[in-house]
Amino acid sequence: MTAKRQLKELIKKEILIRVRDKQTILLLFLMPIILIFFMTLALKGVYIDKISERQIRVVIENPSRLPKANLLEEKISSHKLIARVHQPPGADAEQIFEQTGAQVLVMIPPGFDAGDMPVELYFDPVLDTGYKVAIRSLITGLTVEVVMGIDNLDSVVANLIVEKSRPNRDIPSPLQQTVPAYAIFAMFFIAIPMSIGFIKEKNDGTLQRLFTYPVNANLVALGKITPYYMINLVQFFLMLLIGVFMAPSMVGLSFQLGQHPWHLFPVTLVVAAATTGYGVLVASLARTPEQSSTMAATGAILMGVLGGIMVPHFVMPAVMKKLAMVSPMYWAHQAYLDVFLRNAAFEQILPKLIVLTGFAVVCFYLAGRRVRWI
Amino acid sequence: MKALSVSSVTFRYEDSPRLALDQFSLTIAEGRMHALLGPNGAGKSTLMRIITGIQRGYSGSVLVFGHKMPDRSALLSLGYAPQAISLYPTLTARENLRFFGAMANLSDEELAHRSKEVLDRTGLNDRADEPVSQYSGGMQRRLNLAVAILHEPKMLLLDEPTVGVDPQSRNHIYETLLSLHASGMTILLSSHIMEEAQRLCSNVTLMDEGKVIFDGQMSEIDNLERFFLEKTGRGLRDG
Repeated sequence: MTAKRQLKELIKKEILIRVRDKQTILLLFLMPIILIFFMTLALKGVYIDKISERQIRVVIENPSRLPKANLLEEKISSHKLIARVHQPPGADAEQIFEQTGAQVLVMIPPGFDAGDMPVELYFDPVLDTGYKVAIRSLITGLTVEVVMGIDNLDSVVANLIVEKSRPNRDIPSPLQQTVPAYAIFAMFFIAIPMSIGFIKEKNDGTLQRLFTYPVNANLVALGKITPYYMINLVQFFLMLLIGVFMAPSMVGLSFQLGQHPWHLFPVTLVVAAATTGYGVLVASLARTPEQSSTMAATGAILMGVLGGIMVPHFVMPAVMKKLAMVSPMYWAHQAYLDVFLRNAAFEQILPKLIVLTGFAVVCFYLAGRRVRWI
Repeated sequence: MKALSVSSVTFRYEDSPRLALDQFSLTIAEGRMHALLGPNGAGKSTLMRIITGIQRGYSGSVLVFGHKMPDRSALLSLGYAPQAISLYPTLTARENLRFFGAMANLSDEELAHRSKEVLDRTGLNDRADEPVSQYSGGMQRRLNLAVAILHEPKMLLLDEPTVGVDPQSRNHIYETLLSLHASGMTILLSSHIMEEAQRLCSNVTLMDEGKVIFDGQMSEIDNLERFFLEKTGRGLRDG
């Protein structure tokens, strides 16, 4: 009963101190929110091409207005991958690209219906070769449909070519990347207030005073660790709420939680143990508040850079992808992507949680060997 | 009964070439107010830390009311006000008292009662709900003392209790100590202020460089400063 009450007061004291520390609240909660918004917007363009279907901006000239030409114009305009852009009056081909942002000009000449003249394609000079090939292929298919009198070429060739790509498991949507990434990043920053608080108590004598009472050192340690663990949990779930309810309307992108969102609970419990372990380790190693903040921040930034937080894992070269595995943030982020993106069964997430638990155990063990209470 | 018995304690800090305490011995009878005087660096704070069990790794023995330290069961017979203001600055006085009271295993009822008493005694009741960071130095020292006496210890250890304190707060602290002593509490007070020791204490131990220079009644020495200078070649205020 005594120990329970002492633990409750130790936790309450730590929480009161943290909650009244405005700088810490800003660091732990505002920083990740800002990062989520800005990095989602910054990375939007990277993801759009890879995971969603960007429409091709097309200008169509059809001076003859003959039936086949009109049919081709209609097919192109109504295709789901085409966004038709209207031609400014009097503009030549170069001016069209500058003024409209169009990527291709399709000219259906008067001789098209008679079969005398081919359809002409004018591409924006800066367009990638691969993109040009894709657009040419699309327009060619639609032209063949008109010339051959076929309603839908895809249904004709359906038995000749079949796409067997596996579902996307590697490329998260922008919010699937940034919400867990910057939540994890902020959770690791718990090391700063944790270690500075510990050092301040050592330096100003409150920790020494505490040991003049009949209170167990392990209880004091638990009373210090538990509040930060709880703060980590709150951090993650707050970022998740922002990702689900606020960010989509502000950045114009959706956030998918995956088919087994309840897996977030065990993942977050383990990730919070890893981040708290890191905080305890920094607290045991640092001797001054300046050392604390430098060690904690530098470590978190390095882990973030390596681990696919700042630079998404899927854009890294192969060597960096392997190197990422030394970062606990990599394992944490991948565990969250298992939930959000891959709809993974718990057995598939478990190995990552084991790695993170191992990291936490090592941190706590090293801290226990190094810590000096007085 | 002896409240405190320190026998031949020797201690050296890690990586320090000199002894912080050198065969130091001290006995304090129950109910006494005893001064521990010495210049800065004499070993007064080190001795306090050893008595309270904070500092380990010494040779010799320390008995507090018959219990060999460190002994967790004896800890609550001691109240300790360190030289540093060892309080949580962003917590209020009341919150600090609640916290340390819980560490001393006081029940909620006892805590409420004792908190009011010590706040009254130290003149801090009106500002008990303000954060300690907003207190003056004198008020912080009074609260430091309040925390030490909250659990009604049998012996109070005060390490330089009035350093950096304004005269009003200093007098308040003196009155509190005299009142506690009158109620039977044993007090060990370390200081380098002679006038403070002479005003409050009947017994004195002079120490320098970890050793006892003199141990006896205050009345045996006419002039403490001169006595110390004759014995050590240094002034009490030197450090």
